[in-house]
Amino acid sequence: MILARSRFFGVYGALCFVYLFCGLPACFGESAPPAADDYQLELMQRAEGLSLSGRREWNVLLFYRQRGGGHKSIIDDPRFFLSPNGKTDPDAELEATIRGLFAPAVTGDDHPRCRFPARYQWLKGELGIDPARLPDPACAKLDEALKAVDPRSAVLVFPAAHNNGPASMFGHTLLRVGSSYQSELLSYAVNYAAHSTDTNGLVYAYKGLFGHYPGYFSILPYYEKVKEYSDLEHRDVWEYGLRLSPAEVERMVLHIWEMRGIASEYYFFDENCSFMLLFLLESARPELRLTNDYWDRWGFWVIPADTIATLRRAGLIDTVKYRPSQATRISHRAGLLDDVARQQALDVAMQRLPAADAAGSGSPVEERRQVLDLAAEFVQYRYSRKELVQEEFQTQFRSILKERSGLGPGDAAAGAVPAPPQPEEGHLPGKLAAGAGIRRDRPFLELSWQPAYHGLLDPDAGYTMGAQINFISVTGRYYPEEDQIKLQSFHPVDIISLAPRDLFFQPFSWKVTGGLDRKTFSDGEDELFLRLNTGGGFAWNLPHTDSGIAYIMAEADLNLSDRLDRKVALGGGGTAGLLANLSDRWKVHLSATGLFYAIEESQYYRLALDQHLNFSRTAALLLRAGWERSYDLNRAEAGLSWVRYF
Amino acid sequence: MKRILLAVVLTLIYATAAMAASARSNTGCGLGTIMWGNKADGSVMSQSLQATTNGLLGNQTFGITTGTLECSQPANVVNNEHLNRFVLSNMDNLARDIARGEGENLDAFAELLQVPVEKRAEFAARLQGNFEKVFSSDQVVLAEVIDNSLAVTH
Repeated sequence: MILARSRFFGVYGALCFVYLFCGLPACFGESAPPAADDYQLELMQRAEGLSLSGRREWNVLLFYRQRGGGHKSIIDDPRFFLSPNGKTDPDAELEATIRGLFAPAVTGDDHPRCRFPARYQWLKGELGIDPARLPDPACAKLDEALKAVDPRSAVLVFPAAHNNGPASMFGHTLLRVGSSYQSELLSYAVNYAAHSTDTNGLVYAYKGLFGHYPGYFSILPYYEKVKEYSDLEHRDVWEYGLRLSPAEVERMVLHIWEMRGIASEYYFFDENCSFMLLFLLESARPELRLTNDYWDRWGFWVIPADTIATLRRAGLIDTVKYRPSQATRISHRAGLLDDVARQQALDVAMQRLPAADAAGSGSPVEERRQVLDLAAEFVQYRYSRKELVQEEFQTQFRSILKERSGLGPGDAAAGAVPAPPQPEEGHLPGKLAAGAGIRRDRPFLELSWQPAYHGLLDPDAGYTMGAQINFISVTGRYYPEEDQIKLQSFHPVDIISLAPRDLFFQPFSWKVTGGLDRKTFSDGEDELFLRLNTGGGFAWNLPHTDSGIAYIMAEADLNLSDRLDRKVALGGGGTAGLLANLSDRWKVHLSATGLFYAIEESQYYRLALDQHLNFSRTAALLLRAGWERSYDLNRAEAGLSWVRYF
Repeated sequence: MKRILLAVVLTLIYATAAMAASARSNTGCGLGTIMWGNKADGSVMSQSLQATTNGLLGNQTFGITTGTLECSQPANVVNNEHLNRFVLSNMDNLARDIARGEGENLDAFAELLQVPVEKRAEFAARLQGNFEKVFSSDQVVLAEVIDNSLAVTH
């Protein structure tokens, strides 16, 4: 990491030199010859008299964070600073900025006034700068961008987790800057993302976790982002209208402009998109203190849904809008039709039934419209999944739309998907459970801790049912009879994705978990062992309910332990289960597992019934009962825990 | 770093151009235009990648113009880059909205064409009634869609 940082600076150092050589002011800083300008001196003295460099606004604009007695900007790119010491010296940076304003106007878009318009606007207001006494560079690119973006309002955009990709639960947040256009699609999106060209997932994860990727802001038409999330990734999107005035939004856009092409080290968990957007919002209204929440607490990650809660606490969230993805719209539309019509829509989309036949069937006209609307969306979905080539898609899509257009306008409400509970209304991501239980007639006390994120049994409001992603879950037990505290389990990662299959979608369900577990070995003792378990299978919604899932999975299970004859055992088997909400508050998970180990020639069976009763966003009761058979030894266990979400 | 980024951008532009060149001449300007890139959403890893790498090209920050140069331009409308780019990028969704007679993409299209609010319903109805004239063939392209839309609504 240190190596990478120094290399990073090395490259920029070289670039800086080039700029200096070309006469650009980017690296002038304190080494520049003092301009013999009385006005410049006057402004500097005024700034010093007002202690501007210590002001909140200046700290926000330069991303300064107080560290001990000093300051440090979280931006690493030297081009973001006019003073070579700008990263750590707010005074020097302010002075260099004032000096920069007096640079010859010939540099145009590269002039500090054009490059850092938010700093200029703020200084102009605070110091009462008379623009007539400054060089007047033409900021053609800035003017063009401001004209195009036309900032009036701001919306925080939060694409929710992908159905079958729990990793996307951490999600992404971006901003939409509303313009004078009525259509939201025509406004611009502000995005902060890591720049990576690595395709190896492990390299990517490692570098991402440790800040080896540069993060960049970008601005692009919102319709591009909508297409990406709705039509390509099939993720629902939440849009939170923010209470910001047009002047505040414009100030923020000027600040975003200052970040143009500026790199900052992107850390997946903390200095990520959600965190950086909080900074932008602070620049809109510097009185807001949004990032402090994260710096001051001990937790080290920023989950996008958390940032929404932060904005809500700050009173910034005004309206909430749900934008269902194409896959969600397909499911919704399919749910409105009866079995025959649903099958008909699928047949049209799969080219088994001509669109004209569906359009001319004897069904009521509104049903025929809905059949074709569903078929058209499903053809688009298949094309997005590359199940159709472009030529097939064009012919198929156009023939359906042609028939649909002949049926006239339909009931617009049919396509409107009711909004599910908002992501931030769900349970908090951390979990602490304390309880007691009994295993083979021996009582125990149990404590478990899990900093993130969502388990199969946790309430699903704001999350996806059947999508479990847990990090670093630890459970310890105390057996009074032995007066011993024992580690029961430790799972760095535990992911289960139960994705129900239906007429239109046939996803695979899968799971992967690893860490330390405890089970009964041949000597009858419960011992810790290292375990890696992964599996794949199918899941279906229980009929006549949208809150129950049945699943079946084949599994491979690798065990490492000194207790094993050859230290290692590899098993195969499977799990079948039922997960169901019996009421709004009561959730049940029934599962049966059988694993057969080749080297050891041993078997493991487990039958479990877990019940979860939730009382609020922060409190629940967990009741577990299970029976295990390991090395032909039977073990029954039951426990009751109080769960506190944090 | 800047040079690496530039190289990446150039490579992407070149690759995109090469893809367009190797296909039929108007590919990329008509229905089914979405550039999929490597955005298959089947694997776990690609999802976690997408969660953080969206719109990642630093050098394309504020990429406000460009995009429709390789397509033939509509004849009957003052060259409007914003309109062209929107239609190019959303042609499938726009076609779906036109066939249905309503929708967000159709609303945006009407706004870009500066159709007065009180005439939007009529605009939508005329487009729906003339779907086959607007999307005159499977290979219909950007310029034709805009020109045809104007022809049937004026």
